[in-house]
Amino acid sequence: MSWVCKMELSESVQRGLQSLADASSFDQSGFQALVDVSFRSLLSARGDPEVLDQPELKQVDQILLKQTHTAAATFILEAVKHNADRSTISSSLEELTFSAERIEIFYCTYQTHKKELGRLLASIGRRTPRINDVSWRLQYHVKNGQVDKVNEPFYLMSLNTENEGSSEDINFTCTMEQLQDLVGKLKDAAKSVEKASQM
Amino acid sequence: MEEVDTILIHALKQVGTEVSEEIDSVKQFSSELIVKAVVRCIQVIDPGLGSGLPTSLPPGMSARFRVGMSLAQACQDIGYKGEIGYQTFLYSNEPEIRSLLMCLVEKLPRESAETSDQPTGKSLVLQRAIAAAVQAQLAVPWLPTNCRLPLHVETQSPEALHSFHVLPLSLSHFTKGPGKKQLKETDYQRDTLPPVTAQLSHHASLMVSILEQHTAELSAAQEWDNEWNSQGLLSCLTPQKYRSRKLTRLRKRIKEQLCSAELPSPESAFGGPHSSSDLCELLQVFKGSAPSDHILTKSTHFSHTQKFTFEQESASVTSSIPSVHQSESDIQHRQQEELASLQQQFQQLCSNVDQLTADMKHMSVTNAQVLNELKHKELGNSEKEDKMQVKKKTIDLLPDADNNLLKLQALVEASTKRLVNLASQWEKRRAPLMDEHRRLKEICSNRDLESSRKLSEIKSLHDKICVSTVDARKKEDIYKQLVTELENLPRDVSRSAYTQRILEIVSNIKKQKEEITKILADTKELQKEINHLTGKLDRTFAVTDELVFKDAKKDESVRKSYKYLAALHENCNQLIQTIEETGTILREIRDLEEQIETENGNKTVANLERILDDYKSIRQENSALAAKVREG
Repeated sequence: MSWVCKMELSESVQRGLQSLADASSFDQSGFQALVDVSFRSLLSARGDPEVLDQPELKQVDQILLKQTHTAAATFILEAVKHNADRSTISSSLEELTFSAERIEIFYCTYQTHKKELGRLLASIGRRTPRINDVSWRLQYHVKNGQVDKVNEPFYLMSLNTENEGSSEDINFTCTMEQLQDLVGKLKDAAKSVEKASQM
Repeated sequence: MEEVDTILIHALKQVGTEVSEEIDSVKQFSSELIVKAVVRCIQVIDPGLGSGLPTSLPPGMSARFRVGMSLAQACQDIGYKGEIGYQTFLYSNEPEIRSLLMCLVEKLPRESAETSDQPTGKSLVLQRAIAAAVQAQLAVPWLPTNCRLPLHVETQSPEALHSFHVLPLSLSHFTKGPGKKQLKETDYQRDTLPPVTAQLSHHASLMVSILEQHTAELSAAQEWDNEWNSQGLLSCLTPQKYRSRKLTRLRKRIKEQLCSAELPSPESAFGGPHSSSDLCELLQVFKGSAPSDHILTKSTHFSHTQKFTFEQESASVTSSIPSVHQSESDIQHRQQEELASLQQQFQQLCSNVDQLTADMKHMSVTNAQVLNELKHKELGNSEKEDKMQVKKKTIDLLPDADNNLLKLQALVEASTKRLVNLASQWEKRRAPLMDEHRRLKEICSNRDLESSRKLSEIKSLHDKICVSTVDARKKEDIYKQLVTELENLPRDVSRSAYTQRILEIVSNIKKQKEEITKILADTKELQKEINHLTGKLDRTFAVTDELVFKDAKKDESVRKSYKYLAALHENCNQLIQTIEETGTILREIRDLEEQIETENGNKTVANLERILDDYKSIRQENSALAAKVREG
């Protein structure tokens, strides 16, 4: 399901895609090769400067080729960012004078690489550490330097958290009320998430 | 009635009554099911009223009776107008139950009223998608770290994240006709520029940079669009001119700002020559080809001092190199000495420079003053020379004064004549020129008017475009949302079948109406004919009667025939009456048959038997209770 009706494209991207749609500058094999190359170059971890040296793309003007490649890469990233579905992509490409056959080729390639690209895009950003495990210990506070009789129980908590692959322990102590408060808040949070899932 | 029943059953199922699949008409409803359905409907319609009702029939007969009574009461409270009582539920008959259920189903609150309250648009669809995603993630069971499969990686074990780090990309843009200047650039772009995906070594920042670049381009285009539409169109310039004008305006403003910031502290700028020279460079960029300016001259001073100090320092460094061989203390001592002397020298030089700059300033000021004076004097000189020439000529003319005077007068006259001539000529020329001028002016103002009108038209058109695009977007959103809603709707009721059925019914009714009107017309015709015939008969009879009666006085046989005639008339009348009576009786018979059918439909016999049974069971219960009472 897609909830964005239309992707907005800048003028340079539109022009690049228009030249990609133009059969006089890119024939069928060239089109296929460029689409493949665009996806591949986005997915490969090391940027390969020789990526455009394809036999099918030899006869295309190098400047035009680079511009088109940039436009195609931008369009792909935008489409993945918007989680575009078939109708969105085809309407966008139709506006840029793509033929139905070329839209089909593009969409097939997009479909095969979409998930991986989405994962890559999702890996950009920050995340709070997540709690993997909890261990606790109940202690009893009998007295201290100032007060002779305290007689209060308290908890020693240790949260095992994980963030970006490395784990870390967070230690703290809390009284019973504080612990109850914490548990209540966690329950509240869980309930809110559940409520959000039932729209 | 089948359609009504399926609709009823569907509605009951939606409300939450369990109706088994085999039951497809109200006829098959048992008492249990009826009670369950009615109670459920009442609960949905009015929760307060429905909460006190049991959902199933109790086994005891008297208790059943009470439940039936309370249900009937509840139905009447809700607004059921028909006849209702305990018998409706316990000894059901089909039409009554159907009308009751139809009334209840109509009273059910509509779900569509709720859906129309929900917010529309993109956000709703997005929220739903989010909710679905959250639900999917909640459905995945939690696993300890070491049990996680790659399947769960996405949601459960966070992998290393890349920060959002944008780097500039070098892109070749589409230009309109590459000029000569860009020849080197195009060479670079063709041969050396790597493809965009190879420009950055880091994968994530590449994606981020591409997206960022695109967004920046988009927003810049939008900004320009906005500005052009709000201000650019009104200025009546071409986009390029508008841009260049804005650029010069901006430069001017920046220059002014910088100058005003720079001026108050020209002395303190000595402390940080570096920053001020930076500023001056900046200013130079903005100023372009305007060289002789206060700040610029200042900057040269600064840069001179700066250069000078640097040279000094480098000289001191080079001079200190050979002394490395000597002993440390010596070296230190000498270095200190040298440093001191150099510092002294430096200070002296600085003060020298200061003095010199001050001198220079003074000199330049005096120089300018002197130059000014010179100019003044030169101007005065040339004026005086002119005067002298005039005087010289007059003196030359003095000896032959009379002659010269006459000549001069002639000259003056000739020139006045010429002047008048010229004036008349000028007048001749002037009139058409003025006309032309006026005409052109009018055209100009017309054009102005037209252009402003067109401008306003363009503006209004643009506004319209904006409004329509927004409208179109909104409509597209709504369309998408409705499509998703349609997809989510349950498919068990075939709407098209309903509508088809309704249309069929409507056409049937139309046909029936036509038939009815036809029959009515027939009947009317028949009635007319009958009336006509009766009238004719009456008249004929009267005439015949009169004729025969006249003749009857004369002839005996005719009298007999008159008697026959009277008898015939009476008999015929009787016959007609009998036929009419037969018709009414037939109609009555049909009515009675119908009544019998409905009574049969009411399952009267079976219900009577059940009532008898129930009566017996109540008596048994009563006797058992009485026995208990006696025992107690």
